[in-house]
Amino acid sequence: MAGIRIEHLYKRYGKDKQTVVNDFHLDIKDKEFLVFVGPSGCGKSTTLRMIAGLEDISEGEIYIGDQLVNDLPPKDRDIAMVFQNYALYPNMTVFENIAFGLRLRKLPRHEIEQSVKRAARVLEIEPYLNRKPKELSGGQRQRVALGRAIVRDPQVFLMDEPLSNLDAKLRVQMRMEIIKLHKTLETTFIYVTHDQIEAMTMADRIVVMKDGVIQQIDTPETVYTTPNNTFVASFIGSPQINLIEGKIVEDIPGSGKLQFQTSRFLLPIPQEAARVLVHHNKVNKRVTLGIRPENIGLEGLFSDAIITGAYKVSELMGADRFLHLDIGQDKLLVVRVNAYYHCEENENIRIVPDMSKALFFDADSGVRFKI
Amino acid sequence: MVQRLLGLRWKGSRLQAMDGFQKLLTLLMIVMSVFMLLPIVYIFNHAFKPYHELFVYPPAFFVREPSFQNMNELLSVTSRSTVPMIRYLFNSVFISGLAVVFVTGVSALCAFPISKHKFPGAKLAFSTILLTLMFAPEVIQIPRYLVVSNLGIMNSYFGHLLPMLAMPIGVFLLKQFIDQIPDALLEAARIDGANEFFVFIRIVIPVCMPAIATVAILAFQNSWGNVETSSLFMLDDEMKSFAFFLSTLTNNLAGNVAMQGAAAVASLIMFVPNLIVFIILQGKVIATMAHSGIK
Repeated sequence: MAGIRIEHLYKRYGKDKQTVVNDFHLDIKDKEFLVFVGPSGCGKSTTLRMIAGLEDISEGEIYIGDQLVNDLPPKDRDIAMVFQNYALYPNMTVFENIAFGLRLRKLPRHEIEQSVKRAARVLEIEPYLNRKPKELSGGQRQRVALGRAIVRDPQVFLMDEPLSNLDAKLRVQMRMEIIKLHKTLETTFIYVTHDQIEAMTMADRIVVMKDGVIQQIDTPETVYTTPNNTFVASFIGSPQINLIEGKIVEDIPGSGKLQFQTSRFLLPIPQEAARVLVHHNKVNKRVTLGIRPENIGLEGLFSDAIITGAYKVSELMGADRFLHLDIGQDKLLVVRVNAYYHCEENENIRIVPDMSKALFFDADSGVRFKI
Repeated sequence: MVQRLLGLRWKGSRLQAMDGFQKLLTLLMIVMSVFMLLPIVYIFNHAFKPYHELFVYPPAFFVREPSFQNMNELLSVTSRSTVPMIRYLFNSVFISGLAVVFVTGVSALCAFPISKHKFPGAKLAFSTILLTLMFAPEVIQIPRYLVVSNLGIMNSYFGHLLPMLAMPIGVFLLKQFIDQIPDALLEAARIDGANEFFVFIRIVIPVCMPAIATVAILAFQNSWGNVETSSLFMLDDEMKSFAFFLSTLTNNLAGNVAMQGAAAVASLIMFVPNLIVFIILQGKVIATMAHSGIK
């Protein structure tokens, strides 16, 4: 068991020194489940591979526990890694696959057998121990890959998009099993994914990355409710947060009350948010308003601040329905309503945003205003 | 089996026929494979033909009265030679065995770093190896002689082996195959604690078995039929190979009636080991790339 300290890590590739990981600085606590999330090419896998020792470090330091591991080969870092494509040894049986690492450590035969059987029991792959990987389904293969990692009893588990080759249903199931595994093993997990749902459901803390730069590190709740910028706001959450371009205006000059103005509508800004906006000197300036689909209701649920939008499309998600409305912005506004709600195309729908949940971002840099 | 041979597939109880193009292709393949089979059948038949059948006109393809007359002739010829035939045979088997082991080993050891390790000059090294494919054997005979002679390995088994050791086509085949092994497989082994040699022996070689088998067949054929090392580098008769011995037997036979029977048997003896090696290894060659641990 050990924490990981990553100090000002850089990765540059090629002759033109293209930076893929840029000043990555992070303290991972012991027994933490940390998820790196971001779009493809954001440097999350590269960072993980540097922690594993599979990529050279261009600049910066990585400590596992108290040990500087920059120049340690992967096998001496006491880590285990699960790969996206499972990477099972095709020429060996499931038993041999799981036992491979133990045999290399020259453990006594009975100990190897015990450990493999125990891991197989935990992962429910006992009946398949004598099969070759090609005789297993995708889910079973991923369990074997997990088994290979857990028998080693490493200080840190690294997982590189381990579920992205599985079908949707199996993914949900394996997600739960990995969470359970983390609880039983009580070891540090670093998990890389491009799937924000995996990040939200599994992580103790999420690291959102973009273009090699960390955008935000926080608990799933905080990242969701108070994202640092528009990128994090739109990357986390499905359907995406609504971003509306507009201007901050004073209600009655001198009153201190502010309103958010677009060409079509005016929305009142709560006191607290108004203070922040005044602090940043944004009165009569352009800002971006962010509001999640679940924070917008149909008329009647809240008192004031009504927007009218023309109904375009709807998505039924089972328990909920998402309406896409044209409110005169470039993008359609998404509103979460009851699954049984029905309306006609282009029908005007009156909706009420809960302005206490609204987020305000800088119109140019996309950074959220805070004190 | 017959249905599969004809390209017919059973689906339920209904026999599904192929479309016209598939039929044409199958027919073409059958004709071609029969054509390729002809020399082999001919070699077997020819070896058992008595003299009056060997020279019958028009030539007969199949033997009518099989006899061991030719075999006896070969035995009597070899019994007259100073070195017993069994010595030549031993030389050939020994050299070919070593060649199979070492050529596949050297080729794999060369292909693995070129394919999976990034080092400066890797591409250049590979291109150079490919370039050597373009030289005709005659071109390199003299430099080869100089190398063997200066190393002082003339007239030794090593002199047989060394010139055959570097097989560019083997390196090429294996490199292409190793390219297809996902990096993740090797990385997983490294994280599990394997060093490079262990990764090579336990992961790369077993996964590459089809390519290894192909290279082994090529290496065997190359070495079994080789007369060059015997004629150029071996001074004593007892160091020469079976292929060389048979070639001296059958040399200058054109237009000659005597010894034709012995020559017919000799070609059969030269051919049979190739067939045996191929049959043993073909299962491995045909085995598809075992990528099943990887999705």
